[in-house]
Amino acid sequence: MVVEDDADVREAIAEVLTDCQYKALHAANGAEALQRLRAADVRPCLILLDMMMPTMDGWQFRAAQKSDPSVSDIPVVVLSAHADGSEAAAKLDAAGYLPKPVSLETLVSLVERFCAVGQE
Amino acid sequence: MTDSKPWPALLSNVQLAFQGIRDYAIFLLQTDGTVASWNEGARLIKGYSEAEIVGQSFSRFYTPEDQLAGKPAALLARALQEGRVEDEAWRVRKDGTRFWADVVITPLRDRDGTLRGFVKITRDLTARKEAEEALRQSEERMRLMIDSVNDHAIVMLDSSGKVATWNPGAERLKGYTAREIVGQSFERFYPEPEIRAGKPRLELETASREGRFEDEGWRVRKDGSRFWASVVLRAVSNEQGELIGFTKVTRDLTERKRSEEAIIERTRQQAAVAALGLFALEHPDLDAVLDRAVATVRETMGTEIVALLERSADGKSLALRAGCGLEAASIGRLPLQLGSPEAGNGLRTAEPGQLGQQAFRMGGVLGGQGGSGMTVPIRASDPSREAHGLIEARSRAERAFRDDDVNFLQAVANVIAAALERRSMEEQVRMAEQKAAEERARASQVRDALRERDEFISVAAHELRTPLTALQLKLQGAERGLRAEARPLAGSTVGLRLNGALRQTERLSLLVERLLDVTRIAAGRLELSLEQFDLAALVRQVADDFREPAAQTGSELRLEAQQPLEGCWDRLRLEQVIVNLLSNAVKYGAGRPISVRTERAGERIRIAVTDEGIGIAEADLPRIFTRFQRAAPVRNYGGLGLGLYIAKHIVEAHGGRVEVSSRPGKGSAFVVDLPVAAVQAAGKHDQARVRA
Repeated sequence: MVVEDDADVREAIAEVLTDCQYKALHAANGAEALQRLRAADVRPCLILLDMMMPTMDGWQFRAAQKSDPSVSDIPVVVLSAHADGSEAAAKLDAAGYLPKPVSLETLVSLVERFCAVGQE
Repeated sequence: MTDSKPWPALLSNVQLAFQGIRDYAIFLLQTDGTVASWNEGARLIKGYSEAEIVGQSFSRFYTPEDQLAGKPAALLARALQEGRVEDEAWRVRKDGTRFWADVVITPLRDRDGTLRGFVKITRDLTARKEAEEALRQSEERMRLMIDSVNDHAIVMLDSSGKVATWNPGAERLKGYTAREIVGQSFERFYPEPEIRAGKPRLELETASREGRFEDEGWRVRKDGSRFWASVVLRAVSNEQGELIGFTKVTRDLTERKRSEEAIIERTRQQAAVAALGLFALEHPDLDAVLDRAVATVRETMGTEIVALLERSADGKSLALRAGCGLEAASIGRLPLQLGSPEAGNGLRTAEPGQLGQQAFRMGGVLGGQGGSGMTVPIRASDPSREAHGLIEARSRAERAFRDDDVNFLQAVANVIAAALERRSMEEQVRMAEQKAAEERARASQVRDALRERDEFISVAAHELRTPLTALQLKLQGAERGLRAEARPLAGSTVGLRLNGALRQTERLSLLVERLLDVTRIAAGRLELSLEQFDLAALVRQVADDFREPAAQTGSELRLEAQQPLEGCWDRLRLEQVIVNLLSNAVKYGAGRPISVRTERAGERIRIAVTDEGIGIAEADLPRIFTRFQRAAPVRNYGGLGLGLYIAKHIVEAHGGRVEVSSRPGKGSAFVVDLPVAAVQAAGKHDQARVRA
């Protein structure tokens, strides 16, 4: 699942993942992501989480996710344009950190670590 | 008509009558001067017994000189002629000693007038004579003494106050000769107002009542000049206690009086200057200080006109700055050209001047108004500088000025100079403070502008990362899609264009990263990730990457980096430095050979990148390591001008330094000097992390 407010980035990531035979859900902010997560038929194997978003940012989403047992164990990788992204990842107890600009190779190898092909 | 017959009856009567008298020698002489009788007084005074002397001539009582002069006979002749003769003179005793005798000789006649002889009465006045002599000598000595006294007037006044005696001291002191003054009233020694007030009379009355009167005061000489006198009057009375006159002793204490007055005046002046100085210290308002200075001069010296003239800023004229006794309207508007003679000596010589009649004909500094005046320069405390101006004090009446007055006015001028200099210093300090404040504001503005720029760069660079992500993923996705469709990329137009777009995306990413480096350095947040590696290997690897670009510009890359150089550094950052130096060498190398050398010297590692290209002008060398600065013209050589700035900070963050030497047209040499193990030394916020 890609949680990213920038539609182009969201779309580009989703395209790459689809090319690689993954099914990608996406959301423009934390609130939308929570809603989609709870409504989803299949639990995603990974959440790519942008930090700075309107309505509900990455911090708020992560807190809400952790307090919801049905989704709390889904690993989260922080996606950030800022140098302090790695610190944020550590604080959020994230599974990893993906600094922008993201290269296809890095993205694919990261997703491969968490998901089998065909998963969401 | 003489008869020498004895006259026994008379004789016996006389002898009876005078026999026992001891105080007087009373005896009879015959008409020829022979002693006819003797008494006890005669025996005591003259020493002869009756038996010895009766029948002897009376001339033996006289001194040899008198005898020779015929005095005995002459006295008898006078007695006959005048009926009586009295004589006071020396007489001689039997033993030859002399005594002072008062002698009265009276002729004796009988009833029909016939001369029968003489009665001679002699008194011994030796004791009185000696006392008189002593008194005479004493008086003579006194007279001589009084006459010899020059500095005291010692005179006698009669009981009405008229001058009776006059000594040389009096003449010298008062100017009158004895002939001029004796008989005149002593009142003429007093000033007119005191005579009118009856002071001389009062003094005489006091002296006669109390015996003595003492006074100090002004007295008048014959020529009208005054002197300060100390006078002692004593009443002189006769034996009956009647006032017969006065002695008057007068001393001239003018000098003492003047020096006392001078001391008092000087003290007053010094107190006035001290008060003025204090006032100047306490009052920052210059005009108030100058007005006070003018008032101080007027009140202390009693000069009605005081003018304080300040030299104009251009130094060519004087303007009245403060004053009194002048038309108020002229203050601030009395320009004087310094070239004019009246503007004075004071400024030219920096010495005080007194304005006498001569000066006033010239007009003084203030123009002719008569009287007496004084001008002193307001000297600068720095003697090499010209005076600030002048201060002139003038009285309408003529008067003399003393050295003390000049010193006083100069002291006032010094206080004024200090006040003027303080004002100018305050002015300078104020201007300097204003300038400093402006500088601070400007510096602060520059800092704010720089910070805003850094913040903008930071925000912009971060914002660029997001679209870069989308761009990069789309392009890489497209390339991957092409590959997946197994279409031959190499050679295909789409493939070439895609590769070009990908290269540009990478360049864009790199530029964004460099901009972020700048903001990190500016914020002191350049982080190092230290690890152990062979720096020579890294240099060889980067150099290999540059072989082709160098070859494209015609430059041959010569590498001397065979010796392994193990150490602890941030690999990616040092790679960034070497890339920067090599890309510069290729860019500005003008197609000539480029050499890359590494070496180790003790605990230091050196990487030298040398080209033979366009070089850097000496004037540009200091700024090539600063942000957004480039020595080469932008038109010919692109780039942000950040490479060397970042490289320098990376090296310094490792505890090393970058040095450059260059000559225009000959090429440049950059040397990176690093410690074997990075010492985190640069920015205070910079952090180093050693990778495990």
